[in-house]
Amino acid sequence: MTVFICLILFTPLLGATLLALAGRAISRRLSGVLACLCVAGSLAGAIAGWSALAESGSTTQTIHLFTWFSVAGLNASFSALYNHLAAVMATMVAFVSLIIHVHSYFFMRDDESWVRYFCYLNLFVFFMQVIVLADNLIFLFMGWEGVGFCSFALIGFWYTDPSRVMAGRKAFLVTRVGDVAFIAAMAVLFYATNSLGIADILGATGTLAPATVTLVGLLFLWAAAGKSAQLPLLVWLPDAMAGPSPVSALIHAATMVTAGVYLLIRLFPMLVLSTLTMEVIAALGALTALFAACAALAQHDIKRVLAWSTISQVGYMVIGVGIGDPNGSFFHLLVHAFFKSLLFMVAGIVIQALHEEHDIFKMGARVRKIAPGTALAFFCGAAALAGLPPFAGFFSKGTILEHALTSAVHGPPIWMAVWAAGTVTALLTALYSFRVFFLAFTGKPALEPDTKTEKTPPAMLHVLWPLALLSVVAGALNMPEHVAMQLGIPPHWLDHVLGNLAGPVMEHPDQHLASMAELIDGSLALVGFAIALFIYGPWRIRKPAADKGLAAAMQRGFGLDYLYMTYVARPYRAAADLIWKNVEDGGVDSAALGLGGIAVRAGNRARRWGEDKLTSYLLWLLLGLVIMLVIVAAVGIR
Amino acid sequence: MIVPMEHVLIFAAVLFLIGLVTVVARRSLIMILLGVEVMLNAAGVAFVAGALRWWDITGQGMVLFIMAAAAAEIAVGLTLVFNIWWRTKNLNPDALTRLKG
Repeated sequence: MTVFICLILFTPLLGATLLALAGRAISRRLSGVLACLCVAGSLAGAIAGWSALAESGSTTQTIHLFTWFSVAGLNASFSALYNHLAAVMATMVAFVSLIIHVHSYFFMRDDESWVRYFCYLNLFVFFMQVIVLADNLIFLFMGWEGVGFCSFALIGFWYTDPSRVMAGRKAFLVTRVGDVAFIAAMAVLFYATNSLGIADILGATGTLAPATVTLVGLLFLWAAAGKSAQLPLLVWLPDAMAGPSPVSALIHAATMVTAGVYLLIRLFPMLVLSTLTMEVIAALGALTALFAACAALAQHDIKRVLAWSTISQVGYMVIGVGIGDPNGSFFHLLVHAFFKSLLFMVAGIVIQALHEEHDIFKMGARVRKIAPGTALAFFCGAAALAGLPPFAGFFSKGTILEHALTSAVHGPPIWMAVWAAGTVTALLTALYSFRVFFLAFTGKPALEPDTKTEKTPPAMLHVLWPLALLSVVAGALNMPEHVAMQLGIPPHWLDHVLGNLAGPVMEHPDQHLASMAELIDGSLALVGFAIALFIYGPWRIRKPAADKGLAAAMQRGFGLDYLYMTYVARPYRAAADLIWKNVEDGGVDSAALGLGGIAVRAGNRARRWGEDKLTSYLLWLLLGLVIMLVIVAAVGIR
Repeated sequence: MIVPMEHVLIFAAVLFLIGLVTVVARRSLIMILLGVEVMLNAAGVAFVAGALRWWDITGQGMVLFIMAAAAAEIAVGLTLVFNIWWRTKNLNPDALTRLKG
C-alpha cells in the first residue's frame, strides 16, 4: 500500500522537480510528455491503491511515510489516511488532472513559458494529492498552502500583464484569511486531543467538550470558505479567471476549490456532533449558492459565468455537508469536477479560437464553424450543470436537494430556508447555463465581433470527450433505486463504496419525498431551459443589459469587492499609513536617525583633525614629541 | 674617550634635527624616508657615545638592531614608494587623499 501512496504523491513531485531542474535542457515536446506521464503515474497509483484497498477488506488504513519533525508531543508526520473516500478522490484528481495536462499540451502550444507551466501544474497535482491523502493536519496544511501557492503562480502565469498579477495576489491574500482559521483550529485541536492526526482526532471526538467541537467546526468552516470560495471569502475566484483556461479548469473548478468541501467531508464525524455548526454550514452554503447564481446570471465574460457557477455549485456541496449528507456532497463534488472542467476547457478553446474574445455577446453561431464540436461538448457540460434530467448533475444535485427536503419536512424552519434557496438556485442555474450556451454558440452575435479568428488543433477538443461522456452518464455512480432498477445498474454504488462516512446513519429519504424533490428539480431545470430559450434563443435579438441598476450590481457580484475595498482594505491602508508615518517614520526611524545624527555630527567634528595633509600629521607628531620632552625636562624622570 | 661626551651628543642632536626637518619640510616620499634614516643614525651615534662613556657593550648591540630595523624599514618603505609611484605617478604625500572622509 505504501508503494501506491508514494506513487500517487511523488510521481507528480518528481515531474515538477525534473522540469524545474532540467526542463530547459530537454526538448519542449519531451518536457510536456514527461509532465503528462507523471500525472498518469499518479493515476495508476490511485487506481492500484484503490483496488488494493478494496481487496484488503479494511475500510481505513493509516500509512506512515516518514516523520517531518516531532517537538514536545507535536508530531508532524507525513502519514496518509487512506479510506475509500480518499481513494475515489485521489483517482478523480489524477484522472481530471491527466486530461487537463494533455489538453494543456495543445492549449499552451505557442507559449514560451511552457516548462514553467507544466512544472507548476505537476507541483499542483502533488500538493492536491497531499490534501487528499494526508492524515496529519500539518501535512495536510502543507498541501493546503502548496495548492494556494500554485494557484497564485498560475493565475498570474502571464505575469507581464499587471492585472493578472494582481488577480493572483488577490487570490493568495484572500485565501490566506481563511488559512488563519485553519491554524487556529489546529491549535485548538492539539490542545484538546494532543494529536493532529485526523484518525486520532475522529477517534477522540467523544471525549471533546461540545463547545470545542463547535469552535473547531466553525474554524474549519471558515478555512474551507477561504479555499472553496464561499461567502464571505468568495471574491477571489471570479478574478482568478485571469489564468490560462486549463488552469481554471484544474484548480478553480475541479480540484482546489473543492478541497475545502473535501476537508469538511473528511472531518464530518466531528462536525456532525455540533448542531450549530451543521446549521451554519448549511446556511452558508445555501446563501452562497443563491448569491453566486444571481451573480452568474449577469456576467458577460464566459469564464466569469463559469467562475460564479463554480462558487454556486460548491455552495451545494457545502449544503450537502450541512444537512448531514456527505456522500451526496461528495457525489456532487465528483460530478461537478467532470462537467465544470469540461466547460472551462471548452470555453478556453472558444476563447483561443476567437483570439482572446471573452464576451459571450460577441460569439454566436460563428463559433460552431470556427471550432466545430465545441457546441456539443459545451452542451453536455451545461446540461449537467443545469441538472437537466438524464444528465449527471440532475442526480448529484438531486441527492442533496432530496436530503434537504427531508430535513425541511422533519426539521426546524432553517432547513426549509436551505431547501428553498437550493431549489431557487437550481432554477437560476439552468437559466444561466443555457443563457451562456445560447449566447455563445447560437444566433447572431449581439455585439459586432472582432473578426480575427485562429485555427485550433482538434486534438485539444478530442481529449475532452471522456469528460463530456462522464457529464452525461456519471449520474450512474449513485443512482436512486427506482431509476437504477430500470437501467439494471447497482443503485447507490458510490454510497456503498464510501461506506458510512457520516457516523450516525443518514437514511435515504422516503420514496414519496424523493420523487417529489426529483420532480421539482427536473421541472425547474426544464423551466430554466425554456426561459433561457425564450430570452436568449437563436432567433432572438439579444442585447446586453445596460450597465446600471440591478444587472450592473449582479455583474459586479453585488459589490462585495467594493465593500471589502471600502470597509476592510481602506481602513487597513489608512491604519498602515498612520503607523508608517507616525510610528515608523516619526517614532522608530526618528529615534534611530537621531542617534545616528549625533554620531555623524561627532564624527564630523573629529574628522577635522584628520582632514589635513599627511605632512601635517608629522608636524602634529613633532609637536607632541616636543611637549612630552618639555614635560620630561620640567618634571624630570623619577 | 678622547672626544667629550657632550660634543658627541650635540652632534647627534644636530643630526637628528636635520633628519627631522627633512621629514617635516620635504615634499617627496623618498626624501622623507631619507630623513627617517638620518634620524635613526643620529640615535645610533648617541648609543655608541653612551656605550663608550659607560664602557658597556649593550649600546653597540643596540646600534646593530637599529641598522637591521633601518634596512627592513627602507626595504618595505621603498616598495611602498614604488607602488605609490606606479599608481599615481606622484610622490607628494599630500596628494594621497583617498582615505579622506
